[in-house]
Amino acid sequence: MWNELLFAFQSVATLANVLAMGAGILGGVVIGAIPGMTGTMAVTLALPFTFYMSPVTSILLLVALYKGSTYGGSISAILVKTPGTASAACTVLDGWPLAQQGKAGKALNMALVSSCIGDFLSNISLIFLAAPLALLALRVGPPEYFMLMAFALTMVASISGGSLLLGVVSACFGLLLATVGEDMYGSFRFAMTEDMKSGLSVAPVLIGLFALPELLRLIFFRDDGQGQAMKLGDNRLTLSEFRGSLKSIIRGSFIGVVLGAIPGIGPSSAAFFSYGEARRASPNRENFGKGELEGIAASESANNGCCGATMIPLLALGVPGDVITGVMLGAFMIQGLTPGPLLFQNNLNEVYMLFIGMMFSSVLLFGAGKITVRFFSHIARIPQVLLAPIVLMLCIYGIYSISSSMFDVTVLLIMGAVGFIMLLLDIPPAPFLIAFILGPMFEDNLRRALAISRGDPSIFFHSVISWIFAGLIVFFVGLTIRREWQKSRENRAARNA
Amino acid sequence: MANKAFARGLLIALFFGIVFFAVIPVYVQRPSFIPGFAPPPDMWPRTVSLLGLALGLLAMVSAVLGTRQARREASSSGPAGWFSQHRGGFGRLALALTAFAGFVILTPRLGFLASSMLLALACFVLAGASKRLVTILLLAVLLPLGLQFFFGHVTHTPFPMGSWGVMPTLP
Amino acid sequence: MKALVKNLLAAAALVFAAGTAQADYPEKAVTIVAPYAAGGASDLAARALAETARKYLDDQPVVVVNQPGNGGMNGARAVSEGTPDGYTLLLARVGMALYPAVQESSPVAWDGYTFLGSLEATPMILAVSENSPYKTAAELVEGLKANPGALTYGASGATAIDGFTVQALLADAGLDPLTAATLVPYKGGGELATALLGGHIDFLAIAAGSLMPHIQSGKMRALMVYAPSRMDTLPDVPTAAELGYEKAGQVTGWSALYGPKNLPQDVVARWQDVLGKVAEDEAWLEFAKRRGSISTAGKEDMAAYAKAQYELFNGLARDFGYIK
Repeated sequence: MWNELLFAFQSVATLANVLAMGAGILGGVVIGAIPGMTGTMAVTLALPFTFYMSPVTSILLLVALYKGSTYGGSISAILVKTPGTASAACTVLDGWPLAQQGKAGKALNMALVSSCIGDFLSNISLIFLAAPLALLALRVGPPEYFMLMAFALTMVASISGGSLLLGVVSACFGLLLATVGEDMYGSFRFAMTEDMKSGLSVAPVLIGLFALPELLRLIFFRDDGQGQAMKLGDNRLTLSEFRGSLKSIIRGSFIGVVLGAIPGIGPSSAAFFSYGEARRASPNRENFGKGELEGIAASESANNGCCGATMIPLLALGVPGDVITGVMLGAFMIQGLTPGPLLFQNNLNEVYMLFIGMMFSSVLLFGAGKITVRFFSHIARIPQVLLAPIVLMLCIYGIYSISSSMFDVTVLLIMGAVGFIMLLLDIPPAPFLIAFILGPMFEDNLRRALAISRGDPSIFFHSVISWIFAGLIVFFVGLTIRREWQKSRENRAARNA
Repeated sequence: MANKAFARGLLIALFFGIVFFAVIPVYVQRPSFIPGFAPPPDMWPRTVSLLGLALGLLAMVSAVLGTRQARREASSSGPAGWFSQHRGGFGRLALALTAFAGFVILTPRLGFLASSMLLALACFVLAGASKRLVTILLLAVLLPLGLQFFFGHVTHTPFPMGSWGVMPTLP
Repeated sequence: MKALVKNLLAAAALVFAAGTAQADYPEKAVTIVAPYAAGGASDLAARALAETARKYLDDQPVVVVNQPGNGGMNGARAVSEGTPDGYTLLLARVGMALYPAVQESSPVAWDGYTFLGSLEATPMILAVSENSPYKTAAELVEGLKANPGALTYGASGATAIDGFTVQALLADAGLDPLTAATLVPYKGGGELATALLGGHIDFLAIAAGSLMPHIQSGKMRALMVYAPSRMDTLPDVPTAAELGYEKAGQVTGWSALYGPKNLPQDVVARWQDVLGKVAEDEAWLEFAKRRGSISTAGKEDMAAYAKAQYELFNGLARDFGYIK
């Protein structure tokens, strides 16, 4: 194996490959950072160009775009409270408070470092763990997905902020909105207009909920001193801060790798998982959501930790796990390569070249990140009264161009208003979002599993994987209940004192 | 604050209650061809909205229980006071939402470009940047122009030109 | 006032768009709307067509825009309601005939377009996993008869094309298409292939593109092909028609090029000419082969074929009880 890797290293180190990766990463970061432009868009736009490239170069370009955009999402999450991609939603929770404290640069650097580490570890596991992880991915059927999603939904407790009750309400709202449109059997739910038949897409809901309330808040409250530019200053990430978050970074990368390898789960869920777990394990638990660097580290290491791992089902099994790897599968086919076990038999050299190239792109990601951090942190100097409407314009154009749909823009604006009402009522938006993203997977797999078992619920306890998740659910729910009980007892004690 | 918590619980309960009792029966059909043992399409929305309804009621109850304690903590501004304090805010909010609605209504007629220019201008003014008149005028015109040019050329997005035909087509 | 503004702006526009004197179609970029998600069959077909057709359209760029949603009807509606100037066309799939045939109300009727020509046939394959006891389609049908409802099949939905492949087969075999096998819905070819590989479902009949890699690597077994003729890459696998399945024999996947209704005659003529050239273009044929499809560019009488397909699915939907 080592000889092949060495040979692959020599053949991959061509100017064309390095250029493709560099351009891909840089372009990906910029596209990811623009609210409303997503990684899927970047990869789709680049697809026609790959028709005339060599197979390895074209896949490296697409992978670079994917990685870059996944990291880039954190930039706007931190600076303008708008996750550039859905997977950066958790980064907002701590990134934006940090930026308001004048620590935008510090937050951006933490996001970059943890993204690169997550990315690198993900590539390593793609090379050495592809076979076992691919096997694991196939074992996960509807009942296991269902248990996994049920476990993920218990994470709502971690991101609810002050009140667990309001967090769960927010999640219910998200679960409900996620059911709009055509269900898996083909019947329509809440389809009051023709457009609603296709349901609400993630991007307009996400951006409407996070970015627009900021503008409306500014319009509503106006003179509370927040209309000014953010303070700048504390930009460097110190070694001790990095060391303090290292555990979360490693754990986040691991979560990203495992969840990335399972088709259909994706970086947003991984980031939520990692964030919830980091908060649970951290001694600074109370500071999460108020500007905790470790929160950024957890979220960003997990979403980039997915990038390499999503290639595992694609390369090893030939099945795409999400839309982006779906486009990559198309690119492979156009090149006359068939991903799957045969690829490792017939095109092992190309596979190794791909591996080496991806390792190399982690380094490029760091470089591209450093350049863009410097450039983008100037955004923090723009006064809020100008910045918020500018962000609105970016969102409107970005969202419209995703699928040329005025309905999506309408959803964006309505969700902005809804988000502001939630803000006034102190209902946290993050549980809404996780429920909106995970809800369909939860419901679909519940219905699938029961269809397979012909209505017998014991199907949820047939496999070891299911039992593991069932145990975790009990553990987490128990923990949450205990903590809530303690909190209310403390409150009562404080009240009586 | 206790009154706010009560109102919030009421709103939550009302929303999920309306969804459960009024919206789901009308807008979630149950096709005949789905096999009996597989959960039907309305199972999940019903479960979720029932849970939401219960939580809203719970929030109301806990708000009522917490009222006495809140009174002791000398509530300086009740919701009425809060509303009158932010009367200007509600006015501007209403204008902003009108601008949002106007954008959606105007786009098919005036075109995406002109409508977004108007929306940008409205938002700048409402957010309180009207002192920098030149800056916001320039931004409101140039930003949509640049974005439309960019997306039109890079992603080839077909932006609505507007049925009134008042705007020129960009190359 | 309005006229004045309009004139001023039009004058400004001339600065941008200098030199667009009256010329033959096309005088600017042509947009092809792919009504399904990026990376899918319609997207790849649209991009392959865009790459080849450009050469025969005076080097005017042909760009692909994805407009997915509502079973392809969002993109279809956008095109059919657009200006019939030939600059916005639709990469139609079998869904454009299927959706109006199986839904009570459809945003666009099956004939709400100008039919420019067929592009390719994309065969569908009936497959089981390598560990399955069934070696042929007949054995699978016997298995279904022995235990009604016990076997599960994957599809994108009850009334999706990959659901109809199986249901048509069941109907041909004299079984109840709705209960003889249990439908487990998944979203898209990737998820469906994974479910079969993981052994979560027993069989499926979906587009060849999603299955070929697994059939070639031996992880899946192809039992039958839904196509007019056998596939070059699977010469030993019989077609549904060969096996005597009458309804299943007519179900297949296809792509075609549609425009809005009432396209000008010169545009239609131009595209028929272009599609004729594309049909012999080596790059196009190579792209088609790699994606596992058979080029039919410009060969079918598209209007008649779309009508036949609509009637086929409408008849099946009535038989199966999806519509009254």
